[in-house]
Amino acid sequence: MTFANPLPELTLPQMLRENARRMPERIAIRQKDFGIWNPITWDGYHRRACHFGLGLRALGLPLGGRVGIIAENRLEWVLSQMGCGLVGAVAVGVYSTSPSLEVAYVLGHADVDIVVCEDQEQTDKVLAALDQLPCIKKIVVMEKKGLRNTPAEHRDRVIAFDEVEALGVDYEAVHRTLVDDALAAQKLSDLALMIYTSGSTGKPKGAMISYANIRGVAPGIIDHLELDAGTTHLSYLPLCHVAEQMLTTFCPIYLGSQVNFGESIRTVQEDLREVAPSMFLGVPRIWEKLHAAISIKMQETGGLRRWLFARAMQDCAPFAEKSAQQRSFGERLVFALYYWLIFRALQNFIGLREAHVALTGAAPISPAVIRFFRTLGVPLVEVYGLTESTGMITGQRLDQVRIGTVGTCIQGCEHRLSPQGELQVRGEMVFAGYYKNPEATATSIIDGWLHTGDVVTESDGQLKIVDRLKDIMITAGGKNLTPSEIENTMKASPFIKECIIVADGRKYVAALIQIDFETVGKWAESQRLAFTHFRSLVDNPQVRELIDAEVRRGNEQMAQAAHIRKFHLLTKELDHDDGEVTATMKVRRSSIYKTYAAEIEALF
Amino acid sequence: MILEINNIEVIYNNAVQVLRGLSLRVPRGQIVALLGSNGAGKSTTLKAVSGLLALEDGEMTSGSVVLDGIDTAHLKPHELVRSGLFHVMEGRRVFEDLTVEENLVAATYALTGRRATSTDFDLVYEYFPRLHERKRGLAGYLSGGEQQMLAIGRALIARPKVMLLDEPSLGLSPLLVESIFTIIARINREQGVSMLLVEQNASVALAVAHTGYIMETGKVVIDGPAEKLAGDPDVREFYLGMAGEGAARSFRDIKHYKRRKRWLS
Repeated sequence: MTFANPLPELTLPQMLRENARRMPERIAIRQKDFGIWNPITWDGYHRRACHFGLGLRALGLPLGGRVGIIAENRLEWVLSQMGCGLVGAVAVGVYSTSPSLEVAYVLGHADVDIVVCEDQEQTDKVLAALDQLPCIKKIVVMEKKGLRNTPAEHRDRVIAFDEVEALGVDYEAVHRTLVDDALAAQKLSDLALMIYTSGSTGKPKGAMISYANIRGVAPGIIDHLELDAGTTHLSYLPLCHVAEQMLTTFCPIYLGSQVNFGESIRTVQEDLREVAPSMFLGVPRIWEKLHAAISIKMQETGGLRRWLFARAMQDCAPFAEKSAQQRSFGERLVFALYYWLIFRALQNFIGLREAHVALTGAAPISPAVIRFFRTLGVPLVEVYGLTESTGMITGQRLDQVRIGTVGTCIQGCEHRLSPQGELQVRGEMVFAGYYKNPEATATSIIDGWLHTGDVVTESDGQLKIVDRLKDIMITAGGKNLTPSEIENTMKASPFIKECIIVADGRKYVAALIQIDFETVGKWAESQRLAFTHFRSLVDNPQVRELIDAEVRRGNEQMAQAAHIRKFHLLTKELDHDDGEVTATMKVRRSSIYKTYAAEIEALF
Repeated sequence: MILEINNIEVIYNNAVQVLRGLSLRVPRGQIVALLGSNGAGKSTTLKAVSGLLALEDGEMTSGSVVLDGIDTAHLKPHELVRSGLFHVMEGRRVFEDLTVEENLVAATYALTGRRATSTDFDLVYEYFPRLHERKRGLAGYLSGGEQQMLAIGRALIARPKVMLLDEPSLGLSPLLVESIFTIIARINREQGVSMLLVEQNASVALAVAHTGYIMETGKVVIDGPAEKLAGDPDVREFYLGMAGEGAARSFRDIKHYKRRKRWLS
């Protein structure tokens, strides 16, 4: 089956220019600053990106050069990225939460020439590692606060973002055709982006994404999620991750739809309510947090409202899998009743009343959480994808939701299962390879098939992810266990934030558990247990009993062999700075096994 | 434990939640420092203990305060004072139009009508000789340090079991701060008065206190023995103004961002 790509045969920067010509006055992006949403049109987007790109060239960025970007999501992020694209350079995103060492590793590995930093904090991280990074010519800073205190030896290396734009304006006067030439020479096979995987195993790897990959994945996403030019999106997840890239740049630029950047990552809740986007992407942690927030409020509220909420959830749960159009007349009536009584307010509270599609992806999620939001009337669907597949490759169709599965493959993506059940895919979206790591590329792409490393099962064309191939554990008794299934069952409890099981080569399953400080704290207050901080809460014997009960409840839903027999409560929260989780809050299993070796041995 | 605060929550104006599940303990005969930045809820905690929230339209919505084994929920502020709790308010609050001695006489109201003996006054003058020199002078004409002495002196008249001290160093010169804190430590040692000390000046507070609690946005983030807190890297950086190596930091090096606080214990 050959797939005819419906999108114009243009690269992302060419498409941006096209949009600027076709609809110069239409709003492309809105950026919130000090409480005001400032719009920027497609023409403005294109012009500012051109000037920034030209400014970088004026600073000595070569054709095909690399530009690192370390910032939270904001207008300048995409201006930098598209600016690079327009002058034939490549953007490399770095997580703004990364510690200095990790920043240095990525910038060094990607051979970055110029790095764009958000503020003094990020600049300091780069400056701290500058002696390991001989390639870096300039550091561009978006927020000028504190810039004048830059140590004298670095002062000529640091330049402000708006100065670069001004440089670009002057440079354009001299080199009128530079952008036109670069765009004319740009081919779909050119490198568009380098996305560093978060690295839950070992060092981050740089996935090379070409313009053809982006053009290959976009139509499938657009079709599957039923997006169009009227879609609005709030961009808040890290832009150095492929998931946010596909919804902030890939799809909106091909569609001409609108993207919003909130004030900061800390104001997402308020921004969400103000924008009320028609599409929303959350990682499981976000959904779990929203779920916990609603649960807590429900505990605090009065008896009548609590009863009403429980009743509504109970009555609407049976048709949670159906989309609004598929429901019978009776079901619609029941939903309408509760919608006006309670769900409408709740949807407003979380800012998703206008959303016609809400996504969860990037990590496994408990089916109970999906069912919860679908019952409230949020059309939450689970999607699946990898950095190496340029984003989402499978997803539930809006009218074909089977909770617990990741749905069907998108258009243009072929799949097959290996004898061990590993999912392998083929299509235009399969990435070009890892940068400077041909061995890893060779094990990842074999004969054009991308090996995802995820074990799946398929029924009626719906795929269900079992676990990472390499994570599957075998106990001393020879039982195969899938850790993520056990861990997610446990994490469905509002009191358990993180659960890491230990079973490989062991007689039974044990777990390291991190309590959810907020919900357990609330519970402790309601039980009149005095505590001061995380540690004192964990050390309380009654909290241990609470978690024990939660673990037992979780165990009841699983096979005997998968039961957690013993657990240890972590006395501090896992943290990126300690190398225990990645920037996307994925647990680094091996690092945790090493750090907590003593605690683990005590469990057996 | 002379004073136990268990999971209290305080709401002002039925709208603003200031304390969220705050717990702390004052062991008998010890000084406990409660530190935190502006608006963390330190003064609110003291007012919740001494029952003065209602004056500011605040309300303790849950939790309990136990003074020497007795739940204080049903006690009025003046009854609390008579059962051994004295709150030295922020900003001194002396009666400015009365003399020093009259101020002290006014404090004898705390003694359930019993006439204060001259030994009570002598005790105050012994700790604060300066007040003796000025005892006929109007309190309003005292210096800030002297007013603070008077405020603490009034507390001494009541012979409290627990003294709540709200920012005794506020607006005083470093030299005066030191002498006031020396006297506070002496009162604690010699009279066995337990103290809950709220302070912005973390270094001087941790120097006299036995244990410390640090609050942020209505919650305790870290607690422990004072020496341990003074050695904690986060406390050193955010409350004691020290750089990593222990030297005081130059303002030139101050950044426009804050290192993330971790509060590991």
